[in-house]
Amino acid sequence: MTVSITPQVHRSKFGVYQVVQTILGVLFSIYLLWRIYDVFFGHPSYGPDTWARFAISGIILGSVYALIAIGYTLVYGILFMINFAHGEIMMIGAFGGYFVFEALKNIPAPTALEPNLNFLNAHPIISVFFAFVIGMALAALSGYFLEQIAYRPLRGAPRLVPLISAVGASIFLQNAGQLLFGSQRRDYTNPVILSRGAGWNIKIGAGIVTVPYTGILTLVLTLIILVSLYLLVQKSRMGRAMRAVAENKTSASLMGIDVDGIISRTFLLSGALAGAAGVMWGIHLGLVYYFVGFIPGIKAFTAAVLGGIGNLPGAMLGGLFLGLVESLGPGIMGIDFQLKDVIAFTILVLVLIFRPTGILGEVLSEDKV
Amino acid sequence: MFKRLLFVTSLLVVASMLLAACGSAATPTTAPAVEAPTSAPAVAATEAPAQATAPAAYECKDAIGCAVIKPGETIKIGMGAPMTGDNAQFGVDISQGQKIAVSDAGDLNGFKFELVAEDDGGTAEGGAAVANKFVSDPTVVAIAGHIFSGATGAAIPIYEKAGLPMMSPSATNPALTASGSKVFNRVVFTDAAQGKFAATYMFNTLKVTKIAVLHDGSTYGQGLAQVTNDEFTKLGGEVLAFQAITPGESDYSSILASLASKNPEVLYFGGYVAEAVVLVNQMKAAGLTNTIFFGDDGTYGQDFLDRTAANGEGSYSTSLIPASTPAKDKFDAAYLAAYQTPPGKLSPYTWTAYDSAAVLIAAVKSVAVLGGDGNLYIPRQALIDAVRGTKDYQGLSGLISCDAVGECSSSGPTFYVDKGGKWEAAAK
Repeated sequence: MTVSITPQVHRSKFGVYQVVQTILGVLFSIYLLWRIYDVFFGHPSYGPDTWARFAISGIILGSVYALIAIGYTLVYGILFMINFAHGEIMMIGAFGGYFVFEALKNIPAPTALEPNLNFLNAHPIISVFFAFVIGMALAALSGYFLEQIAYRPLRGAPRLVPLISAVGASIFLQNAGQLLFGSQRRDYTNPVILSRGAGWNIKIGAGIVTVPYTGILTLVLTLIILVSLYLLVQKSRMGRAMRAVAENKTSASLMGIDVDGIISRTFLLSGALAGAAGVMWGIHLGLVYYFVGFIPGIKAFTAAVLGGIGNLPGAMLGGLFLGLVESLGPGIMGIDFQLKDVIAFTILVLVLIFRPTGILGEVLSEDKV
Repeated sequence: MFKRLLFVTSLLVVASMLLAACGSAATPTTAPAVEAPTSAPAVAATEAPAQATAPAAYECKDAIGCAVIKPGETIKIGMGAPMTGDNAQFGVDISQGQKIAVSDAGDLNGFKFELVAEDDGGTAEGGAAVANKFVSDPTVVAIAGHIFSGATGAAIPIYEKAGLPMMSPSATNPALTASGSKVFNRVVFTDAAQGKFAATYMFNTLKVTKIAVLHDGSTYGQGLAQVTNDEFTKLGGEVLAFQAITPGESDYSSILASLASKNPEVLYFGGYVAEAVVLVNQMKAAGLTNTIFFGDDGTYGQDFLDRTAANGEGSYSTSLIPASTPAKDKFDAAYLAAYQTPPGKLSPYTWTAYDSAAVLIAAVKSVAVLGGDGNLYIPRQALIDAVRGTKDYQGLSGLISCDAVGECSSSGPTFYVDKGGKWEAAAK
C-alpha cells in the first residue's frame, strides 16, 4: 500500500519544472565532461603521477566510506530510519583497535635476534586480527545497545521521532567518548611492517607514487567483508529472515520470524561493519579521538543516498564514487581543495535529479512505504 | 512521493550537519566555575603591598566606579575559552596555566584571587554570552582571555562598555587591537608580526624562494597565512599555491599531492597543531619528500613532536617561549606536579596563559585599596590604565610592555626546528 502525504494529483509527465531541471542537469553534465576532457587532454594541470596519487587516496577513502555506508543501508533497509549515531559507533570501534595495539605494544616478546621486540611487531598479523576482532565486537555491542535504548522504545512512533533520537544518541556518544577517553587526539601505533606512509613505490610519469600498505590492507579487507556480507544476506537463513522483515514486518512475524531478534542482529551486524571501518581508519590515517566518526559518518550517509539507500552494492558504489569525487573533483574543476564537498554534493543533487532513488535505485519493494 | 520528501529532508539534515561541522562543533554550554586552588602554597608577593592607608570609609572617585570585594569574597579573574568540544584542550590547558599564576599570586590584604573559566566554545556567539555573564558579576575585575580571536572580537565591545580590562594569552588576529579598544591587551605577538618574521626568516635565513601556503580558514590561520603570503611576495619570493583546508579532517593527501606537483621548497601552514600533525604525517607519502614544513605558533608544542615522530624531523615552528629560565623551569615543574601533564602538551599557550593572569594580578595589586570598612576597592578605570601601562614586567615569555594599542609582547617570536624529537632554537 502506498501512503502519500500529498493528494494524488495527476501531473503531466513533462511539467515546466522537470524540463528546466533536466536542461540544467544536462548542461552541467556537459560542462563537467568538457572539464574532464580539458584537464586530461587539453590543458593538463597535473602530471599523471599526481592523478595517480589522487586516485589512490580516493579509492582507499572511498572503500572506508563504503563500509560505513553499508551500515546505514542495512538499518534503513530493515527499519526505514537513518541511524545518525552510526559514525559514533565507528569511533568506538576505532578506539577498540587503538587500545588493543597499545596493550600489545607493552607485551614483550623477545627473540634471540631482537631482545627489545614487543608482541605487536613479533606477531603483526595476529595483532591486527585482534584489533579488528575487539574493535568490531565493541562497536557491534554499542550498536546493539543503541538500538535497545534509543530506537526500540520508539518503534511505533512517527518517522521523525527516531531520527531525532538518533541525532541525540550521536551527540551523547561523542560526549561520552570525550569523557571516557579525553579530548586529546591520539595516534595509532601500527606494527612496523604496516607503517603509515610505507608502501610500494611505483614510477608513474615524472614521479614515484607510493601505494601505502595500509591502504592495500583496507581495500582487501573491505572487499572480503563486503563479499561475505552479500553472501550472508543472499544465501543464509538469517539473511533470508532479514530480507523478509525488510519486505513486510507483519507478514514476516506471521511466518514465525522473530522480528525484534532480526532487528537486533541487524544492528549488531551494522555495528561490526562500522567497527571494522573504525579500525581501518585508525590503521590507515592514524588519527583517533572522540569526534573522529562525525565527518566519515556524514560522508558515508551521503554515499548511501548516492548509491541508493537500502541497496548493498549501491552503498559500495556510492562510497567509492564519493571518495573518488572528493579527491579528483577539485583537480578536475580547477578549484580549491577546500571546496571538495561542494563538488560531491553537487553531484549528489545531479544524481538525485535523474535518479531520485540513487544510482542503483532501491531494490526493496515499494510496499514498505 | 513520500520517498522524495524523505530525500529532501535527509539532504537538508546533511547540509545542516555539515554547516555545524564547518563551524565550531562545540556547544556553548556553561562549564562549572573552576575553583582557585587554595591548598597550593602561596608564594609571597613581590609587589608592593596595596595602599592600605585609606580613611575609614573609602570614597570611590574612579571615573567608572569601583569593584567592591566584601570580606570572604574572592577577586575574580574571568576567562572564556572552549572547555568542551573539538578545541577543549586549548581552554583546559590555558585555564590550568592561569590557575598556577593565581595560586602563585598569593593573597592581597587577605583577599584571595580566583580564576573563573567559562565555556565560550571558541565562537563569536559563545564569546558574547560569556562576556555578558562576566559583566553582570560585580566581583569580576579583569579578563584573562578570551582564547580564540573570533570569540574575543565579539567580547571586546561588551567589556569595553563595562570597563573590564582584558589580557589575552592567545588571540592573535591583528584586527583586534586596530579597533582602538581601551580594554583589550594581549601578551601574545600578533599574526602580522609573526607572519612578517616568518616570511623574512624563510627568505633570508633558510634562503628559499618558492613556498606553498596552506591555512585552515580560521580567523587566526587565514590572517596569518595571508600576511606571510604578502610579505614573502614583497621580499621577492614566489608563492606557488595559497589554499585552504577543511579543519578537523583526517586525510589531506589529495591537496598535498596537488602541491607536490608544484615542488615547493617550504610548506607554510597557518593553523593549529591538530591539522599540522595530519599534514606532516601525510606529506611524504603524497610526494612532498624534500619540502620543509614551517608551522606557526599554533603548531608549537610537545604534541607536534610526539605525534609526528620521525615524519616531523626538520620541521620548523614558531613560539613565544624563550630558552629555559629559572622562572620557566619552576613553572614547568609546578604545572607537571599539578596536572600530571607537561606544559605545552595540550596547547602551545601554557606560558602566555600564565603571563596573562600574572600581569592582570600585578595590575590589580597596584591599584586596589583596602577601605576602612574591610571591603577591598578596585577602581576600574585605574585598573584599565594600569594594565595598559604595564612596563618591563618580567614574564615567562620575556619582557612584557604594553604599547598604546595594547600589544604587550616586546620579544619577537623564536623559531624552532624539530631535531631528533626535540624543539631546538633554530639558527638566527
